[in-house]
Amino acid sequence: MARKYYHDDPKWSDVAPLPQEDYGHHPLAAIAYTEEYSEAMGYLRACMAANEHSERVLELTEHIIGLNPAHYTVWLYRAQTLSALNSDLRAEIAWLNPTALQHLKNYQIWHHRQTIIDKLGSPDGEPAFITAMLDQDSKNYHVWSYRQWLVKRFDMFDGRELKWTEGMIDDDVRNNSAWNHRWFLVFGGTVGEGEKVERDVVVRELEYAQDAIRKAPQNQSPWNYLRGVIRRSGLPLSALQHFALEFADPENRPDDDVFSSHALDLLADIYAAAGKTELAVKALDLLATRYDPIRKTYWEYRKGLLEAEGRKEETGAASAAAVETAAA
Amino acid sequence: MASAQAVPVDEGANLEYAKHIRYWRRNLKTFLPHHYTGNDSMRMTLAFFILSAEDILGDLDGALSPEEREGFIEWVYACQLPNGCFRPSPATDFGSSRNDDNAIWDPAHVPGTFFALLILILLGDDLAQVKRPEILAWLTKLQRPDGSFGETIGVNGRIEGGNDTRFGYMVTGIRWILRGTVEGPIDGIPDINVDQFVRCIQASETYDGGISEAAFHEAHAGFASCAINALYLVDRLPLAAHQTPDNKIRGLTNLPQTLHWLAARQTLTIDEEDAFDTRGDETDSAATCHDAHSFVKLKSYPSATGEQAVRTQPTSHFELQWIGVNGRCNKIGDTCYAYWVGAPLKVLGHLDLLDKKAIRRWLLDKTQHIVGGFGKVPGAPPDIYHAYLGLVILAIFGEAGLKNVDAALCISNRAIRHLESLAWRKSIVG
Ligand SMILES: [Zn+2]
Repeated sequence: MARKYYHDDPKWSDVAPLPQEDYGHHPLAAIAYTEEYSEAMGYLRACMAANEHSERVLELTEHIIGLNPAHYTVWLYRAQTLSALNSDLRAEIAWLNPTALQHLKNYQIWHHRQTIIDKLGSPDGEPAFITAMLDQDSKNYHVWSYRQWLVKRFDMFDGRELKWTEGMIDDDVRNNSAWNHRWFLVFGGTVGEGEKVERDVVVRELEYAQDAIRKAPQNQSPWNYLRGVIRRSGLPLSALQHFALEFADPENRPDDDVFSSHALDLLADIYAAAGKTELAVKALDLLATRYDPIRKTYWEYRKGLLEAEGRKEETGAASAAAVETAAA
Repeated sequence: MASAQAVPVDEGANLEYAKHIRYWRRNLKTFLPHHYTGNDSMRMTLAFFILSAEDILGDLDGALSPEEREGFIEWVYACQLPNGCFRPSPATDFGSSRNDDNAIWDPAHVPGTFFALLILILLGDDLAQVKRPEILAWLTKLQRPDGSFGETIGVNGRIEGGNDTRFGYMVTGIRWILRGTVEGPIDGIPDINVDQFVRCIQASETYDGGISEAAFHEAHAGFASCAINALYLVDRLPLAAHQTPDNKIRGLTNLPQTLHWLAARQTLTIDEEDAFDTRGDETDSAATCHDAHSFVKLKSYPSATGEQAVRTQPTSHFELQWIGVNGRCNKIGDTCYAYWVGAPLKVLGHLDLLDKKAIRRWLLDKTQHIVGGFGKVPGAPPDIYHAYLGLVILAIFGEAGLKNVDAALCISNRAIRHLESLAWRKSIVG
């Protein structure tokens, strides 16, 4: 992009730029600005100080955003200018599209976009733009957060959105952002917090996650989803025992016959809840030593909890026996 | 607050102490290269990272003359606004042209104020020029009805900035610095609504045990860390079994699950190549290296790629030498997440759930840079943010030669002790 200066631009001849103060001889984190940026910022300060909201301010803010998209007040100032000028907001979105693609990791841009789309009152074109963004980075946090806002703002909790999300998961079954979006659609929309989820929805979600696990048993996203559904619907974890045994069975199958560490993890919890401490310990041992040794200390900790629990019960039983003996 | 950790002993990997000092002195004494322009409006944050890194390296006194120390303190106070809060950078200062009409474009700023206070503390200032009542009153105006906090107050009093836990963390940090954990009005200065803030964090807990920026968003270690540190700073973490219940609303509704999620952030995917694009590929091959893959038997090989990948996969556990830390499920390891995951575990008293030795080796062998500092991933150039957080997590792990740090405030315990010794603070906190 060609450099742009203001000091010899007749359009700006009436403005005296405000140079940056840097407070004495010991500035902290001083940056070697380019001349272009320094000058543009001087004109921005002058405009802000005069509360000027004009077409040329839109150009100036556009220029500065190109050089420093994380400048938080420049976005707020631009939004205020658009509103003061009653500008065409569709044109603003048309400008934002390539700008967002240039600055994938920037947050402010999404906040600004949200403000504009909210005022426009229509999500037209937004899903297509989001798809273009996700083509660049399918796990971009800001984009998924923005998509949630869009769904809520325009009540898009319908089958189409769920279908689109399934497409994203089909593209990459390990895309945890897509899994999370599914959770949001199913449990964050029409179903209220703490409200009972319909049985057929629970069955559908369990089956969906289980199918995905069968495709890629070591992918943690659907395992987390599965546990989430069980907890949300109030079912006991043991409802998953049969499924988990497809991938590991410390009780009946040899130790090298394991297809997913997450199945062992789940079984450890199921066994522990059923009081089958020995089997739970075995599952945790397999994790610590063979199937997930990078979390060795974590699995050991879980084992420690089970053993402490066991001791407590023993002491409890012993003292109960003592009480009985004393009473007798 | 925090106590010293056992030092992980490891012959192989070394912290290149002298190179780190050189890296940070350069950041302190010379202009940052122009590619930091994107951080122009958060210079206070960069300044904190630079000075605090020098402090943790034990180089603060060596690097600063008394005159420089005074000069830096003056610079921070020059960022103080008439209302007592701080701007995060001189970039928004209109000098003598500032007036009531344009003050809105040079607003009091949460990260600006938080990091300004931390810098003053670590430089040994007594905060006598800090306008405590004004700042504390301002914090209450930044809180939204849902309990979350914004970054600035904008046009028509609108609270600007995301409603994620970062600002809540910094607000509770400012509050802790200026009034400890005492709740309710003090000397007529109102307090934030702590209960509502805790509810807001509870709402952003996710189905997998993590914490996200807001309800139903994806779990993310940065937001989880900010949330847990904030709960600690307002003394609302879950009580341990031996503590007496006090009927206060406390955060983390399911601690075991959150620990599970934090431990799950350890990963063997530490290189861009490890995280190869799985798009359109349904295989679950060892080569995708998603953590336990290398150790789990494969049931079937649905594609030729998958089969090929399995055949060429080394079978030993050699990868365990290095363990990375990621910020979200199925993402690549990244230096900063070692801090974002390690700090909340430390605060929760469960740092031992991490394989400190292997994470330390990953940082020192893989992301430590030859010129000093740390990059984001192996081979990446160092940047102030990753270089600082890499150093801090090593300090939390108890690295020899580094100062002990307070995990929640991300500052040395020496600096915290200085703050705690100030008479005005003692009179409030006791
Ligand atoms: Zn990072």
